[in-house]
Amino acid sequence: MLARVANNLFWMGRYIERSEHIARYLNVNYFSSLDAPHQLSQSRQFVLRSMLFMVGSPEKDDTKELVESEVLYKIGMDPNDPFSILSNVRYARENANSARDLISTELYEAINKFYHYVNSYDADLFVRSSLHDFTVNVTEMTAVLRGKMRGTLLHDEIYAIIMLGVNIERATQIIRMINAKHQDALMAQGSYGDKFSNSYEWTTLLKCAESYDMMRRFYKKTPNSISTLEFLILNPNCPRSVMNSLNQVCKHVKVLDPSKKYDKTSTSFLVGRVRAEYQYKYIKEIEEDIQGFIEDILSNLVAISEEMENEFFNY
Amino acid sequence: MGKIQNQIFSSYQRDPVLYDEIFNNKGEIKDIYSRLFELYGGHSIKEYVHLNDKAKSSFFNQGITFQVYGEKESTEKIFPFDLFPRIIDPNEWDIIERGAIQRSRALNLFLWDIYHEQKIIKQGVVPLDLISSSANYLDQMIGLDPPGKIYNHISGTDIIKHNDGKYYVLEDNIRCPSGVSYVICNRTALKRALFGVFNHYNTHTVTNYAENLLDLLETVKPNGIDIPNVVVLTPGMYNSAFYEHSYLAKTMGVELVEGRDLFVENDFVYMKTTRGPERVDVIYRRVDDAFIDPLEFKPDSALGVPGLFAAYKKGNVTLANAPGTGVADDKAIYTYMPDIIKYYLDEEPILNNVHTYHCSKPDELKYVLENISELVIKPVDEAGGYGISIGNRLSKEQIEKVKAEVKAEPRKYVAQPIMSLSVHPTYIDDSESFEQRHVDLRTFTILGKDKEFVLKGGLTRVALKRGNLIVNSSQGGGSKDTWVLKE
Repeated sequence: MLARVANNLFWMGRYIERSEHIARYLNVNYFSSLDAPHQLSQSRQFVLRSMLFMVGSPEKDDTKELVESEVLYKIGMDPNDPFSILSNVRYARENANSARDLISTELYEAINKFYHYVNSYDADLFVRSSLHDFTVNVTEMTAVLRGKMRGTLLHDEIYAIIMLGVNIERATQIIRMINAKHQDALMAQGSYGDKFSNSYEWTTLLKCAESYDMMRRFYKKTPNSISTLEFLILNPNCPRSVMNSLNQVCKHVKVLDPSKKYDKTSTSFLVGRVRAEYQYKYIKEIEEDIQGFIEDILSNLVAISEEMENEFFNY
Repeated sequence: MGKIQNQIFSSYQRDPVLYDEIFNNKGEIKDIYSRLFELYGGHSIKEYVHLNDKAKSSFFNQGITFQVYGEKESTEKIFPFDLFPRIIDPNEWDIIERGAIQRSRALNLFLWDIYHEQKIIKQGVVPLDLISSSANYLDQMIGLDPPGKIYNHISGTDIIKHNDGKYYVLEDNIRCPSGVSYVICNRTALKRALFGVFNHYNTHTVTNYAENLLDLLETVKPNGIDIPNVVVLTPGMYNSAFYEHSYLAKTMGVELVEGRDLFVENDFVYMKTTRGPERVDVIYRRVDDAFIDPLEFKPDSALGVPGLFAAYKKGNVTLANAPGTGVADDKAIYTYMPDIIKYYLDEEPILNNVHTYHCSKPDELKYVLENISELVIKPVDEAGGYGISIGNRLSKEQIEKVKAEVKAEPRKYVAQPIMSLSVHPTYIDDSESFEQRHVDLRTFTILGKDKEFVLKGGLTRVALKRGNLIVNSSQGGGSKDTWVLKE
């Protein structure tokens, strides 16, 4: 496969995954805040700031009064903002265009439909009344795309490249959400009946990762900081956990160059090394310094991405 | 104007002056169309509109679109497609197919000759200045032997039916002719919308184009290669024909590359893959001559590959079509086609040529200037229907302007009698009814080493504006599925 096209497919996977997580984060945070048990969590300003923080564009000025329609437009529909859902979907489709000879017609058509849906969505309607409709449709369409990837592509190196993009992005977005909700839980603590460890924000976080129901089934108690983080980071059976993503990355990277499995300079080796570190971690170790852990794992994911760039996309 | 009795043709206005492909001059349906006419007549216009909309959205969702520039933001449009197919009977097709092969072979021999001994010029059949003054003649190609001795691997021949009922060739396209993907998409779209009609006709398939293309490209591989690595070279995804490039790569199962994916080392061409460099042997390039190699041609080209031409010269890679073919599809050479066919093949031309006046010859220039209102004036080296003036549509001032342009640069222009393209019923959105529209036909011929193939079908292009004779998609043209019937 051409190195340039491999790079495009990798990013196609990332952008599709990213648009989904942003859409879900908007949806869950907005709607769960409406009847949140606690004053601050219910505040619109608090939610809007959390959304901006998650997409990587935090509002630095603490005293500034944010306007809801502006923030929603910026994150959902602004064509000039590179992190908006609209921009992500455009990039995804552009990358798909450049590789449409390699991917299945079914996958291409689904991406193309997705693009036309997002691109023609009425931005006014979105900020006024259709946040739910739009974000739910975005998450459903990305689910269709995942199905088309798995069900219509040949499971060869092209599929492996796309899945690498999807999983690296998924791990990254889950960590970003954890980071944002960790901040929110820190801020919200101390108010009446709300401590950091059993903050309402943990429930929201699990819902953002579509993992709330399964987490309840697994632990059979109300989520707190430890159980939530353990589930979303270390549990390999949770499909959204960082551990699960790393396992996927590990599996797919070997398809790209099986001969280099034991070469210590390869991406494959680096991925294995990072995975082994989290595989044998206690949640207590993470809890001691959550902030440090988050920074650590983000930099590991960046390192894997850079290593892939060197090894496979260098053209 | 005759009226036709049929539900969806009830308002069809037939202009008896024009040659209608489906009705004879008495207004009766031709035999070959009669079954189709009945089948379509079984639908109400409302049903038909519904099917038409479905077909459109199918193109849109498949992303078979092209960009329209010039407005504020570039917008995506679908290539308009008409659900009423054109049918060509086996006998007529036989003439077209043999004619297209004959022309392609003659052009190939002509190219070999003008880049080698130039016998045809020495014997006075074609004037020297036609070649020496052509911007498309590449000195770099002189004396060079392309693998398999093939220059124009892929030819697109533009053919019309005049009001005398005969086929005429309007143009040979042997640089990078496009449109073949639309032939296949049109067939797919028609099958999806009106599959039932195919049961009543025995139509040749068009989906075998890519396999034949790959077969024939493999016959012109460089020496010493067993199974050649074939690629399609595209200018990139912003090119208006990118869909076609990706379609061809996908259906041939080969890589679609851009110039930046390739590099040349020791006169061999490689592509950069995830597993390192991989050798490339045959390049079906959809990049124009001037852009293929910045070291040899346009130095600022970012689309090409530095050193590609040197590798080609060494015989280490095949380029299809060969560089320098443009000299032979220029409109001035066109006028000598009957002579070129006779000279190389010792055969009579199977397809007619439109008589052409060369403005470079003083007596013909005089005739052109005096009779401009009855002629079409064409620049010899423009593609896409640009720069064409149709004499009887010009105002007095415009005629004077065209005259002045022709006088200033006579070599740049040729003139032809105004041909009346045949018309075909075409569904028109605005009036929600069928109307007569002018059509032409582009056929696709592939030449390999001792092998040739003509796609049994072709792109019937429709001029959607009433009375318009220019069918190019860049000028608001649409297209129809084209059925070649089996005997």
